Amino acid sequence: MLLLVILLPLAGFLVLGLFGRRFKEPLPGVLASALVFLSFLLVGALLASGGARFVLEDWLPGIPFALLLDPLSGYMALVVTGIGFLIHVYAIGYMHGDEGYARFFAYFNFFIAMMLTLVLADSYPVMFVGWEGVGLASFLLIGFWYTDWKNAKSARKAFITNRIGDLGFLLGMALLYSLFGTLQISELKEAVEGSLVLPGGLALAGLLLFVGAVGKSAQLPLMVWLPDAMAGPTPVSALIHAATMVTAGVYLLARSSFLYANLPDVSYWIAVVGLLTALYGALSAFGQWDIKRIVAYSTISQLGYMFLAAGVGAYWVALFHVMTHAFYKALLFLASGSVIHALGGEQDVRKMGGLKKHLPRTHLHGLVGALSLAGFPLFAGFWSKDAILAATLSYPFGGVGFYLAGLFVAFLTAAYAMRWYALVFLGEFRGQGHPHEAPPVMTVPNDVLALGAVFAGFLALPKPLWNLIEPFLAPALAHLEAHEPAPLVEWGLLLLSAAVALVGLYLGYLFFRDYFKKKVPAWYRAFEQAALEGFYADWLYNTFLVNPAKELAFGLGLADRGLDRAYVYAGGGVGLLGRILAGLQTGYLRFYAALILAFAALFVLWGVVR
Amino acid sequence: MNFFYLLVSAALFALGAYGVLARRSAILVLMSVELMLNAANLALVVFARAWGSLEAQAVALLLIALAAAEVAVGLALVVAIYRTRETTLVDDLSELKG
Amino acid sequence: MSLLDLLMGVLLLLTGFLAVRLKNAVHAALALAANFVLVGVVYMLLEARFLGWIQIIVYAGAIMVLFVFVIMLLYAAQAEVGADPLPALRPVAAGVGAVGFLALAFAFSGAKAPLASKAAAAALAGGTAHALGPVVWQTWLYAVLLVAALLLVATVAAVTVLRPGEGGGR
Repeated sequence: MLLLVILLPLAGFLVLGLFGRRFKEPLPGVLASALVFLSFLLVGALLASGGARFVLEDWLPGIPFALLLDPLSGYMALVVTGIGFLIHVYAIGYMHGDEGYARFFAYFNFFIAMMLTLVLADSYPVMFVGWEGVGLASFLLIGFWYTDWKNAKSARKAFITNRIGDLGFLLGMALLYSLFGTLQISELKEAVEGSLVLPGGLALAGLLLFVGAVGKSAQLPLMVWLPDAMAGPTPVSALIHAATMVTAGVYLLARSSFLYANLPDVSYWIAVVGLLTALYGALSAFGQWDIKRIVAYSTISQLGYMFLAAGVGAYWVALFHVMTHAFYKALLFLASGSVIHALGGEQDVRKMGGLKKHLPRTHLHGLVGALSLAGFPLFAGFWSKDAILAATLSYPFGGVGFYLAGLFVAFLTAAYAMRWYALVFLGEFRGQGHPHEAPPVMTVPNDVLALGAVFAGFLALPKPLWNLIEPFLAPALAHLEAHEPAPLVEWGLLLLSAAVALVGLYLGYLFFRDYFKKKVPAWYRAFEQAALEGFYADWLYNTFLVNPAKELAFGLGLADRGLDRAYVYAGGGVGLLGRILAGLQTGYLRFYAALILAFAALFVLWGVVR
Repeated sequence: MNFFYLLVSAALFALGAYGVLARRSAILVLMSVELMLNAANLALVVFARAWGSLEAQAVALLLIALAAAEVAVGLALVVAIYRTRETTLVDDLSELKG
Repeated sequence: MSLLDLLMGVLLLLTGFLAVRLKNAVHAALALAANFVLVGVVYMLLEARFLGWIQIIVYAGAIMVLFVFVIMLLYAAQAEVGADPLPALRPVAAGVGAVGFLALAFAFSGAKAPLASKAAAAALAGGTAHALGPVVWQTWLYAVLLVAALLLVATVAAVTVLRPGEGGGR
């Protein structure tokens, strides 16, 4: 039964992949969306009935294929299938008229199937299958319009960067297997929690798994693929690179929380990396001119926040942020998609502006998304971000430094969220043509997402109000003692976050509402230019890693061809030898006789002289 | 032991070998072959004399008969080739080139 | 080695040399015939009289005559006309001959005779038909019969090869 959850979208992939071209629009999209929705319902039903298991013994020698639906995986699965369904429906309209319509939905369903495998896995190898599968789906979808070389390059970049992380994952798995003899998560959990003395290699294993998460979730230093991944269609960016695949790293950390709860040093570094990534993403978002790239860097930044939460030990908070982020980030991407669709493919914000008047529904979506991202009070993003900030102070692995830095990044987040909103929707329209609003099939899913972006935060409120998520997830996560601050302090910090967000929004509004009409200070221009280049991260990698590797590959290719030619010559040499020897066949009897007699004489001479 | 005639036999054999290789007409080649055979025969008779062996002489007798048979067939072939090719030169029969 | 032997040796070498070097085929054939006669004489000197006569009769008298017949038949007296396609073969042939001679000379130098000369001569009893006959017809009978059969085969072959009409070559 549990397997069916994965098999439904997988079947969609097979059917659409093999026969999709014969189906007329919008049948592939409708079929794909329906299958995802069925999975969503199935997950909900199974979860309500208390969970489920699926085990296939001896899938690999000594390693069973095990799926588990517990609160944690059910939570993620609902997010994946729910948001996935909404984005599928949006894509029915967005991909209209595209030649690869059926192929798109086949890949989309494949992605959902792989993501569910990842999420429902009860053993690391199964998770790894899903991990690789979503990486593959990401590659296929980023490079969906593969006839353009740029898209193919972005897809390749994403895949290779992911691969580096995957190496960490594999090594971590191997280490865990050698330490404990099993890779089933439930068994590992018991082994780690039950033992009094932890084996020495555990920290290394935790670190290696974290490397895998860094690659998949675009943390520093493996974040370079995410902005370029915007080359794919907007629904892809929304589903894979905002809501689900990139959160797989956070999920991995949460699933392995039994491990990290015992590794304070590794957790510290996870939090540091998360914080730095959040800062990097926020700063880079100020310099981008592509509407989707702003949102992409914002994703990097928010993922950093999730890792910060996981690093300090507040795993449920990280997952809370995963859910709220899924709503508002998907909303931001799909709203961007609506804008792009309205302008006939234009993605440069310098050619946008004033769309408040032309695209009222989309404008509303964009506003809600931006406010939720910024942490405007009472919106979903506000509650989850504040939970993270509070966790940095109350959880054992946290500290005041994390809090202050996190607060600063929250301020930046509000500022750049306002930048995005202002440049796109405020002011006068700077582009050409006549923008037209998106069809209902695209606006209705956005409406649902907007509702989530506003209200989803209310599932987990600080004390003394209700918190539904923490107890729900608690059985599946490690438990760390958090010394709760007094309610007064807690709500005081809440007000501080609200203030910071409002100040950020207001300052952003002042600075960006008439950005193109005023004189911008020189230092800001320089900063903006650096931010546009992602602070030269790509340049760094290209110069020191990518191009040398390419040169090496080219050189090896030459050497390989040289080797081939050497073999051909060797073969030719034999031919040459044959041709030389054929020269002995002169056809002249006397020549042959001469050879015979000469050698006979020599033989006799030799025999006699010996 | 008559080494002198043995040396003569060896020399005649060498001359015959030279003739086989240097002569261009088939008939003359066959003649050189006969010279070689004869030289061998001479050596055989010298050894017969040295060992007092009549059997060796009997063998030499048989060899003479063999030589005769060989010449007959060889010359028949030369004539047959001449009939079709109008030549007796050995070098003209070089189709098995390459 | 008596003077007679020396003389014989020189003549043999001379006629042999002429046989392989003379341009005119008939002259070469005659030189070879002379060579064969001299060999027959040498045989007689070497206590092989029957063999010597057979040499003269068969070799010089039949084989060489046959050669002359064929040369005449084919008008091959001026045998080697035209350019030599393998001019380099001459020195090679000379070299081969020299090496061969050396090899054989070397080989012969180690030859031994277990019997003393007089005793050997006595055993041969002059090599006459009377002495040779029993050896040929008793010890070597089968060999003789085989050679006879061979001669027959050779005759048939020669005739078949040269049959007029569609014969000649098959």
